Amino acid sequence: MNEGKGRFDIMELIKKVLFTDFVKGLVITFGYNVSMDSVITVKYPDEEKWIPYRRFRGLHTLNRTADGRELCVACELCSKACPTRCITVIPMEDNTGRGISDRVAKVWKVDLVRCLFCGYCEDACPTRAVRLGREYELACFDRNCAVKNREELLRPQPVPEEMSGGVVAKARLRTTPDGIEVVADLSETRKRRV
Amino acid sequence: MGLQPINPYKRYIMVTVKINGKEITVEDNTLILDAARDAGYEIPTFCYQADLMGIGSCRMCLVEIEGQKKLQPSCVTPVLHGISILTETPTVMSARASMLEFLLANHAMDCPVCDKGGECELQDMVYKYGPHKGRHAEPKFKFHEKDYALSPVIIKNSNRCVQCMKCVRVCREVVGRNVLGALGRGDHQEPTSFFRSFLDCDADGNCIEVCPVGCFMRLPYRYKTRPWDLKGADTICPYCATGCRMVIEHRDGEVIRARAQLGVGMNSETLCARGRFGYEIINSEARLTTPLVRRQRHGTLEPATWEEAFRIIKERMPSLGGNTVGGIAGARLATEELYLFQKLMREVFKTPNVDSGSRWDAAAVEGFIAATDMAEGGVSVFDCMEADTVFVIGSQVSEENPVTEYIIRRISAGRRMNVIIAGPRAMKLDSSANLLLRHYPAAEAALLSAVILDINAAKLAASADLTAAKDAKLDGHLKAAGLTIDDVRALATKLRNSESIAIMAGTEFLRYPHGIESLNLLKELLRSLGKKVRVMPLLDRSNQRGAWEMGVHPAFGPGYVKAPAPGLGISGMLDAAADNSMDALYIAGADPAALYPDEAHVKEALSKVRFLVVQDIFLTETARLADVVLPGASFAEKDGMLTNQEGRAQIIRKLLPPPGKAKVDLDIIRALGEMYDRSFGPKNAALVLDEIRRAQPMYADVSLAFNNKRNVDNKLDNKAALVKGTKAALTIRKFEQAASGQDAQYPFMLATGNHLFHSGRLTNYSKTLNDLMKGMTVEISEEDALASGLAAGERVLVSGAGFSVTLMLTVKKGTKRGVAFIAENFDAAPVNRFFRKGKGAPRVKITKA
Repeated sequence: MNEGKGRFDIMELIKKVLFTDFVKGLVITFGYNVSMDSVITVKYPDEEKWIPYRRFRGLHTLNRTADGRELCVACELCSKACPTRCITVIPMEDNTGRGISDRVAKVWKVDLVRCLFCGYCEDACPTRAVRLGREYELACFDRNCAVKNREELLRPQPVPEEMSGGVVAKARLRTTPDGIEVVADLSETRKRRV
Repeated sequence: MGLQPINPYKRYIMVTVKINGKEITVEDNTLILDAARDAGYEIPTFCYQADLMGIGSCRMCLVEIEGQKKLQPSCVTPVLHGISILTETPTVMSARASMLEFLLANHAMDCPVCDKGGECELQDMVYKYGPHKGRHAEPKFKFHEKDYALSPVIIKNSNRCVQCMKCVRVCREVVGRNVLGALGRGDHQEPTSFFRSFLDCDADGNCIEVCPVGCFMRLPYRYKTRPWDLKGADTICPYCATGCRMVIEHRDGEVIRARAQLGVGMNSETLCARGRFGYEIINSEARLTTPLVRRQRHGTLEPATWEEAFRIIKERMPSLGGNTVGGIAGARLATEELYLFQKLMREVFKTPNVDSGSRWDAAAVEGFIAATDMAEGGVSVFDCMEADTVFVIGSQVSEENPVTEYIIRRISAGRRMNVIIAGPRAMKLDSSANLLLRHYPAAEAALLSAVILDINAAKLAASADLTAAKDAKLDGHLKAAGLTIDDVRALATKLRNSESIAIMAGTEFLRYPHGIESLNLLKELLRSLGKKVRVMPLLDRSNQRGAWEMGVHPAFGPGYVKAPAPGLGISGMLDAAADNSMDALYIAGADPAALYPDEAHVKEALSKVRFLVVQDIFLTETARLADVVLPGASFAEKDGMLTNQEGRAQIIRKLLPPPGKAKVDLDIIRALGEMYDRSFGPKNAALVLDEIRRAQPMYADVSLAFNNKRNVDNKLDNKAALVKGTKAALTIRKFEQAASGQDAQYPFMLATGNHLFHSGRLTNYSKTLNDLMKGMTVEISEEDALASGLAAGERVLVSGAGFSVTLMLTVKKGTKRGVAFIAENFDAAPVNRFFRKGKGAPRVKITKA
């Protein structure tokens, strides 16, 4: 027993002195870097950005019809279905053709701090106006900016609906007065390696 | 197991029927629907509503009767002895599902947009019984593309209609307006106004309330919220003394809906325009949110803190004021507040000068209370409607108490009875009356005296001299009232031939108090003839009766107990103020400057009061004259109790906190009292109510509990809420008829009262109600308009002695000739400027403007 243990300790000591595990790890890392075939690291956010699949549940979007009318009729079913009560809807009347009916949303806002991205709002929506989009860069410095309102959510999505996603797009980091943002170039994408 | 209250004069035939195998005994002619509900089985309905005529149109209530091949509509089929009814067989269930599928075939199915979504009966039924999928693939029939407005408060989408026709029936049978009808046939039948034009209706929205789907909708509530976002409080409508129970609901602090509930309160689902659309005053921009004080003499009112306002009051209001201090409380305050108010005046300021309201003489009030038997406890309007004859006098009940009018119309249409109406103006209820008497304003006394003479004629017939004397007197009365002997004889005959009589006496008796004595005399005379006589006052302020019962009156204290030393009423206080002998006046929730007859006098008097404190929710005419203005709370912001005209005590509940720095009136009164006497109290509404209950037999065992309970049978009469009688020694003073101030160059006698859409000046802050009114109007009879060459809609100049105003002319068929009516609610046409103190009904002339 004692002898065996002693021999084991000596082997361990030798390994430690020669940094064997460290070298093994470095070999793997180094291997990924030199051989392009086995690289799985995404160089986010400086060079690349992950474009999720369509089924991804990110920031809410409010959609429009092809001719630009708002689909939302402010029926408040999303806010009723919401388990965290993070959606507030206040309807109003507008017969100028802003929406598909006279009833449109005066306020439609979602508190992302409370949202758990379950997608119930999407299921409840009778007009498919609410979709959980593919936007996931939601970090900010102030809790108030986590409340997204109607105007913001109605903006066209950077990733179009018809794109199936699941790719890594070329991207660059842009600094704006509001902060930094990652601009993806959707025309230049590559599959993610597994 | 009768469904109707047991009437001892009726013979009941009971029959036994089997419902789903359960044997029950019900009165003959009971509807199968009622019998089944009584037995505990639920049958879905759209078109059935207790109180409305059954039409069996929706076919949701089909049931199977053993031995009959076809299903029968249970809401129009009475039970027969021995029949066996099945309500839950597969056939019945599939019939229900099929009916719903038919209804949905052409239904708009725009639930996400529809304002009814979430509280829709069709949604609920389909969820419960429905086929859950439709087979109708053809394009749907559409009545119209866009919703259209029927009035400034009603918007309509016929594509959602289920053809239950409740709206048409409620308009005809309950409201009596008859402006809705059905166009077309079958599923193309559309209940609407003729040619979908704008309705000239009462805008009460009862069609909205009865509509089971989103066909009739509120325009002010349109697309504002979903029903599940609303937080509501059960309360009582504050705009007249009918005491309708309603729910007011708010979203994010803004009250956006008032609604009535089926089977709750005495009004069930009905309300009038004021109640249903007058909630906007609660969130009005013009609400007082901070105390105001006048820091310099003749300076302006400036915002101040509560501490400063109270300090000024403490400095300038003498604690042992005695006769030089007075208090006037409005009849809209809750009963607890009124009790505390008179306690403050009597016990802290040691003054007997307390009065309620701002228009009526205190002695007239005392006489009216005695003549209408108010001290003998509450009289239910439903009991009054059980009488053989109902005699409405001195009240424009269709405009002042619309829901009382609905009750009179609904019940009188269903049974054999006399409805007699006496009044100068034509009104909607006239169509329910079988005797109409059109007399001059302020001539109630003459009419009643003439009837008394005629009823007594038999006794006098023995002596020719007496008969001659009687005839001479009778002629005088007839001339004064502008009636013929036939009118009076018809009335006397009807009264003589009735075993039980209900007299509904309105506020005209308080405006022109010389009629009170005759009213009392007629009551006593009819009683001496062995008739059962009930008298019910018809009042126009929500808690007027509560104010009197709490002793906010110079001659008596709480429970009509005679005050040791009677003080001054409002007229007395104003006279004293005009003589410079009023040190301080505390006015809470009343607006005498706008409503007391003779504006010049009241304004002069109020400006001569050395220290005037006004507590109100708006900067009223009176508040503008005040030295300190305290912001109070509206009915939606406090807990309390209101006593309606019948003597029914009902509770109001707090929905919102008062705006800004405003406080609940009870807290203000208590805080004022505590400044002078630390032990002044009780400290909150519940404790005040306890004290009232302990001290007063009238309120000792009044039940406040029932009021929120829903009763599906529509048994609306809750007798437990009626106040009990007490012993009171009230005197009826004799009033002389004051002569009108003007002579014959003014051809019209002026009648005043509340407009259908308004209650005092309070509702002027509701935009919806103002929009409904389309401007200020003066109303005259059709004949007078023809004779003077004026047409409805014209601008006319109404001039009396010393005041003239331009108004729009409206013309009414059936109004007494020589009568002009101006509502007392218009800020820009203060009708009290036509009045002169001590003079009778003013006269005016009307010319083209």
